Amino acid sequence: MTTLEENAGPVNDPTTDFNIFDPEFVRDPYPTMSEIRESACPIAHSDRWGGSWLPTRYQDVVAIAQEHEIFTSRDIVVVPRSGLGVEGPYAGVAAPPISSDPPDHHWHRRLVLPVFAPQAVAKYEQTTRDFCNQLIDKFIANGTADAGTDYAQQIPVRVIATLLGVPLEMADEFTSWVRGVLEVGLTDPKVRFESRLKILNFFQTQLEDRKKNPREDDLITDLLNSGDKYPVTDQYVLGVCNLMLVAGIDTTWSAIGSSLWHLAGHPEHRAQLRANPDLWPTAVEELLRAYSPVTMARIVDRDTEFQGCPMKAGDRILMAYPAANRDPRQFEQPDEVILDREHNRHVAFGSGIHRCAGSNLARLELRVALQVWLERIPEFSLVDPAGVTWAGGQVHGPRVCRVRF
Amino acid sequence: MCSIAAPEVFGSDELGHATVLIVGDLPAELHAKARRAQANCPEDAIIIEE
Ligand code: HEM
Repeated sequence: MTTLEENAGPVNDPTTDFNIFDPEFVRDPYPTMSEIRESACPIAHSDRWGGSWLPTRYQDVVAIAQEHEIFTSRDIVVVPRSGLGVEGPYAGVAAPPISSDPPDHHWHRRLVLPVFAPQAVAKYEQTTRDFCNQLIDKFIANGTADAGTDYAQQIPVRVIATLLGVPLEMADEFTSWVRGVLEVGLTDPKVRFESRLKILNFFQTQLEDRKKNPREDDLITDLLNSGDKYPVTDQYVLGVCNLMLVAGIDTTWSAIGSSLWHLAGHPEHRAQLRANPDLWPTAVEELLRAYSPVTMARIVDRDTEFQGCPMKAGDRILMAYPAANRDPRQFEQPDEVILDREHNRHVAFGSGIHRCAGSNLARLELRVALQVWLERIPEFSLVDPAGVTWAGGQVHGPRVCRVRF
Repeated sequence: MCSIAAPEVFGSDELGHATVLIVGDLPAELHAKARRAQANCPEDAIIIEE
């Protein structure tokens, strides 16, 4: 029940049979989300991929996110795990705090929050700007580039590597491991298992190194040394490193990619941003709302009825933050990108106790990546709109996205 | 978010949790910014008393 072949086949009615890996849904999920949202069944159910519920209205998604005792985070991946990876040396390593439930969630989150406070992430602004400029230096003379693989994909991995104090030269390997877990691996359990193993083996070595050679002002060293305050174990630290890599790369890369894809087709928005730099804060939120990259899952703790849906203990719910963010009950003209949107309580970063801990860093990266691009490449367009490829499932965004300038 | 929309009104502590920087009534020139922060607060946690 975990491979593409087993779950393929045409979808007749998305309210009873949606397929999150259907190629059309991966490319452009919004029409289907809206069809479900406006149907008699705004919380759809499908038996594909092990079975899951799909709430599409803002109010329902937020309500489920807030009810964390019934809708738990004991599995947050959008498809069930295969047997692979449950055994082995890293069997107990999770991804705290995203995979933690209370009461442990509190300290699991508490320990990483200082890293991502607004003042703490501000120090990465110049570094991010430098990375962006270096990337553009490599292709600006060509008059064409892949805004996905040459740019968007390259930025967050470098920022996260800097934040974790691990070698920047390994950027391509980190990227392929993360795609192995979050993208390719969702429909290919073997790839997922092997990628996870590579990530954890790598960080295990880093942990050993920090124990022998503690570093100043270093996240891994600090986490290892916080045992006086909380019951910190190696497994916890490994889990946090694992999460930072997995949660911090594909997500932000997708947000940058979708935003550039949007701007490539909207000269009026490029002009607006150039003319009015004060727009950046609302523009960043609006692009996050309209092209929310992340869908998470919850596991139902006990039989419960939610909005008339009979949910059983163990059922999977897909937290369709992208669908919630286009609900016309919450957002006027939800399918329009309005760069100065006044009312924008979007849930691209989730809602409730698991709200994205890295959101300040993600916002900074998205803003700087777009600012530097527009400074240096004010005018650009898609080479072949139909040739853009997309990833979907857990994280939605363009992958290959050729532009000319 | 609120500290981006209305930096004069909101700050954040070392955990990144929002703090209110102004004690007492808000100067009139900051009302619009505070309202924008309220309209964008992801947790609907800001209450403005008129
Ligand atoms: C545009 C980029 C990003 C988006 C859209 C995003 C989205 C999300 C969402 C939706 C959640 C909630 C998960 C849930 O409901 O179960 C989350 C959690 C989290 N994110 Fe992000 N994220 C982004 C970037 C980052 C970055 C750069 C980091 C830092 C490495 C990060 C670290 C985390 C962590 C640690 C959590 C877990 C919080 C908890 O469970 O208490 N994210 N993110």
